[in-house]
Amino acid sequence: MSVWEIVELARHQDRPYSLDYIRRLAPDFIELHGDRLSADDPALVGGIGTWHDRTTLFLGHQKGRSLKERVARNWGMMHPEGYRKALRLAHHAARFGFPIVSLIDTPGAYPGAGAEERGIAAAIATAIMEWFEIPVPIVAAVIGEGGSGGALGMGVADRVIMLENSIYSVASPEAAASIVWRDNSRKVEAAEQLQLTSREIIAMGVVEEVVAEPQGSASADYDAAAGTLDEALWRHMQPLLEQTPSQLLQHRYDRFRYIDSLIQAEPHFGPKID
Amino acid sequence: MAIIEQHREEVAIQGGDLPQILLPTNCPGCGIGLAGDELRANNYVCVNCGHHFRLGADVWIPLIADPDSWQERWTDVRSHDLLNWIVPKRYQETVETLLEEGLNESVRTGTCTLAGVPIWLAAFDFGFVGGTLSIVAGERLARGMEQAALTGVPYVLVSASGGARMQEGVLALMQLAKVNAAVGKLHAAGVPYFSILTDPTFGGTAASLALLGDINIAEPGAAIGFTGPRVIKQATYADLPPGFQSAEFQLAHGQVDMVVPRNELRPLLAHLLELYP
Repeated sequence: MSVWEIVELARHQDRPYSLDYIRRLAPDFIELHGDRLSADDPALVGGIGTWHDRTTLFLGHQKGRSLKERVARNWGMMHPEGYRKALRLAHHAARFGFPIVSLIDTPGAYPGAGAEERGIAAAIATAIMEWFEIPVPIVAAVIGEGGSGGALGMGVADRVIMLENSIYSVASPEAAASIVWRDNSRKVEAAEQLQLTSREIIAMGVVEEVVAEPQGSASADYDAAAGTLDEALWRHMQPLLEQTPSQLLQHRYDRFRYIDSLIQAEPHFGPKID
Repeated sequence: MAIIEQHREEVAIQGGDLPQILLPTNCPGCGIGLAGDELRANNYVCVNCGHHFRLGADVWIPLIADPDSWQERWTDVRSHDLLNWIVPKRYQETVETLLEEGLNESVRTGTCTLAGVPIWLAAFDFGFVGGTLSIVAGERLARGMEQAALTGVPYVLVSASGGARMQEGVLALMQLAKVNAAVGKLHAAGVPYFSILTDPTFGGTAASLALLGDINIAEPGAAIGFTGPRVIKQATYADLPPGFQSAEFQLAHGQVDMVVPRNELRPLLAHLLELYP
């Protein structure tokens, strides 16, 4: 498969979205709404359900399939209110000691005037910072597109895993092409250079595991895809449940502080520690 | 009365001592013909219209630091081409050319004093791949913040950045998390962090440390935002009003505490250092 074919697979409208997984992981899932400030962002779903006998907070970018649904979900692109909702629910989970599962599937935060007017940059910045203070276990999974700061705003976790045919990137190929060439039609070249496939991302040490998808990709069998994702998420969550809050937060800090250590360890690559 | 009021003249920026920068022949703000020495004496602010010229880290450092107090750290941390990035230009070549031109990555950091008070200072350099947040930049920022948190020394940032560096891929994105976690260390230690946003501050830099200051200070007319106007227009076909994403727009929308002319910046910082002893 070419890199661009993987990008198209990661974005495919038949691919399972967050709610498809969450409802299989926790059939008793109850959705919770709103940031308690001004709005509810439908591009991010959040709520609680029973997962492996334990109340768990689920968060996930949500895309839509029909045109109407896509518009309603804003193509999974969050506004500032979405990040504020996520943090509101994270603090809620911390209060009750619920672990958190975060599913990432977004081209990026919404690149529109309204998002700018309501402080999208500060909303993402605050979210990324505050995830480091949430004293309960967090496991994140990139299930489709992990685009830019919009994805990382939901991706600060103790363990991050990726589905085989998902992508994780500093910017969407279109945005990267627009930045580097000032021409977003060069998206294929950009995608090839960005090294955004799961195989490349795990080689860089940015995720802990790549989760295999069913024959013919996750789109082919939602139940099987959810089953293997469930197994992988739980395998990463279990040891975290044994850790004290201070251990969790220290490890989370170190995970991102030294996330480029693979290249630091290679003498010809990356920053050299003095 | 605050000590600063008695010493305002002493802590004012000595524009005439700043390094020279390359200037256009006319001011982009008002079109007036520029006299280099006069502009420099006015801290590279147009005497006619108040346009604030973009400055590199080589100018920002002497602009903020007391004379002879600057001690730069981690200058030998270097970028490398991790992704084999080749088009439109080899990344390794881009970096090597800029290093030969005397620029040392998109962020330089170190310690100095300001009106006699020890501070940590980090300055973005827009001339180095658009001031993009890279692994080296993130490493220098995080190390400085960790040191500042440990020693209780106030942290001052000057940002000018297009966002995360595309040529370092997802590892550049991860720097947002690295530096924001370090900002959290400053917060936990109760160490003041003053963030000065200059033209332009966008993308991953705005969405990480630049807008997380205990006090966010923007320069007049600076463009500040997450998504750049060109990409917003491509994505939404929206016409953006004049002044969209300006420092004044961000003040009106609650994102920065104040918009401060460059000539008043150093006395303000000196005053803030008094207020956050």
